[in-house]
Amino acid sequence: MTLTATNDRNTVSDVQPTPGTGAAGLVAREVCAWFSGRLVLEGVTLAMPRSTVTALIGPSGCGKSTFLRILNRMHELVPGAQLAGSVELDGTDIYAGRLRATDTRRNIGMVFQKPNPFPAMSIYDNVLSGLKFSRISVSDRDALVEVSLTKAGLWNEVKNRMRELGGALSGGQQQRLCIARALAVEPRVLLMDEPCSALDPTSTARIEQTIADIADEVTVVIVTHNMQQAQRVSDVCAFFLAAENEPGRIIEAGPTDVIFGSPTDERTSDYVHGRFG
Amino acid sequence: MAIATETVGPGRAPLTPATIRNDRRKGDRVFRGFARGTGYATLVLLFLIGLFLFIEGWPAIHVAGWHFFTTSGFQTIGKTKHFGVEASLYGTVVVALVALAVGTPVAIATALFLTEYAPRRLRPFMIAVVDLAAAIPSVIYGLWAIYELQPNVVGISGWMSRHLSWIPIFKVATPQVNASLFIAGLVVGIMIVPIIASVTREVFSLTPPGEKEGALALGATRSAMIRRVVLPFGRGGMISAVMLGMGRALGETIAVVIILSESFFISPHILQSGGTTVAQLIAVHFGQGGRLGTQALLFAGLVLFAVTLAINLAASAIVSRSRSGAGVDL
Ligand SMILES: Nc1ncnc2c1ncn2[C@@H]1O[C@H](COP(=O)(O)OP(=O)(O)OP(=O)(O)O)[C@@H](O)[C@H]1O
Ligand SMILES: [Mg+2]
Repeated sequence: MTLTATNDRNTVSDVQPTPGTGAAGLVAREVCAWFSGRLVLEGVTLAMPRSTVTALIGPSGCGKSTFLRILNRMHELVPGAQLAGSVELDGTDIYAGRLRATDTRRNIGMVFQKPNPFPAMSIYDNVLSGLKFSRISVSDRDALVEVSLTKAGLWNEVKNRMRELGGALSGGQQQRLCIARALAVEPRVLLMDEPCSALDPTSTARIEQTIADIADEVTVVIVTHNMQQAQRVSDVCAFFLAAENEPGRIIEAGPTDVIFGSPTDERTSDYVHGRFG
Repeated sequence: MAIATETVGPGRAPLTPATIRNDRRKGDRVFRGFARGTGYATLVLLFLIGLFLFIEGWPAIHVAGWHFFTTSGFQTIGKTKHFGVEASLYGTVVVALVALAVGTPVAIATALFLTEYAPRRLRPFMIAVVDLAAAIPSVIYGLWAIYELQPNVVGISGWMSRHLSWIPIFKVATPQVNASLFIAGLVVGIMIVPIIASVTREVFSLTPPGEKEGALALGATRSAMIRRVVLPFGRGGMISAVMLGMGRALGETIAVVIILSESFFISPHILQSGGTTVAQLIAVHFGQGGRLGTQALLFAGLVLFAVTLAINLAASAIVSRSRSGAGVDL
């Protein structure tokens, strides 16, 4: 079955399942994806257990970003994009129509490869932007801002510049601001698409530290091209590969030390040891 | 040692900025000269038009003095001379404001629809249709308005005058509600929709996709994303588009001439029949008032020219001050 979502409005809104709190597990089953009728991802099944860090690795163009964007319903925003399969957030299929797309995205946050803070909003407002979008009110905004920025490892650098614009930060700071912004809505899962690819080693280390710190309260799924990073931050690792003119598939998935130490598939072994890709 | 390294000392700091010499090539120079020449020519032309209006119109000011701005009417022949642009200026502003009040929301909604909501395949077609609406001659709008729009709108005007008369501008002193400044403004408002819509659409479509995705990924609905990302980004562009539309509305002539029945009476009741604008004054009375009449109209033209120019300059200043037509730093 192919699901075609043309917009993000939901038709079934009478049932509002109360999304729980705290980290939640994600399970993707038989996920396929198309762009303008071209199959780019086929039969991806992967469990991303609660409170763990899952790393998605694989060569460029094998569908990691596409898969990640299917996990929080961002894929359907691309014109001409289609998908099939199911994604369960703690047992609730996010594509079954019981959860709104907007609620899904609030529960499953996302950090993009290129930092995208709102440049015309202050740092403070950037952190609270997710709450404003969803019209959620909080009793103590200042505390929430501080907690979120602290979790993202940015608080000390910006605590005296709250009113400055989000665009006035360095790239690494902007990326951490985006993480703080995503954490402020208390997502249950956080998806990160190569969050460090534009950053220097210090900022990268900070963000890796952040990931380790938040992993208890939010399940993390991270795409990375950096094998050391995958080894450092993740508990579970999934290796994607797309053969020439074929859609991407998962070749092997499992505990990170197994994937890096004793993978069963030769292609995985070649990739993690830098022999191709 | 295979590679000789030469150490470069700190040297003396230069005290004056260096002049960078560009040896431009001939084609480059010619093109530059041409572009610069036409640019200046336009400025010179603008200046000459203003100068011409001033010189030719000045004798009328010599007769009327400052009263030119505080008198309403056009009597330039005979013993008692009584002419000025007060009511016309007032009417011009009223028509432009009504036009903006009506046209701006429609135009911005249209632009948002075209950039954010229209089905992708129909989009180019719809954009072409909206742009085409800007190419319809204003005389057509005028004729359409008097035969189609006005008969349908007088009912609304009447209703407003009866039920909203506690708002002073919607009060009427006479029961006649056709041929009013309001209806003239309505037509002009419809005419400026495509202008405002196409400028704002261009700006909206420049909104960085990353920011839009960022908002949506935080759980924003499409409308919340538009309010918090697209509209703030497009603010500068919207302001300048509105000012462009206003420049057009201030000078609109033929559609106003067709709709508005001339009256030099300044009334705050915009729904009631009668009014005048500067453009209408010139178009209707040209060649009627003798030599003095022509001079008076030329000076009225100068006034209109100055107002429109000022508005357009302000608009372009706003656009060039903000990033890509958007207004973060306004
Ligand atoms: N918007 C799009 N329109 C059409 N095709 C797309 C689009 N986005 C991605 N694709 C295609 O889908 C396939 C998977 O792309 P994806 O971005 O998921 O790869 P990736 O694994 O994230 O690569 P990278 O490591 O370079 O980011 C590629 O073949 C790509 O060309
Ligand atoms: Mg990618």
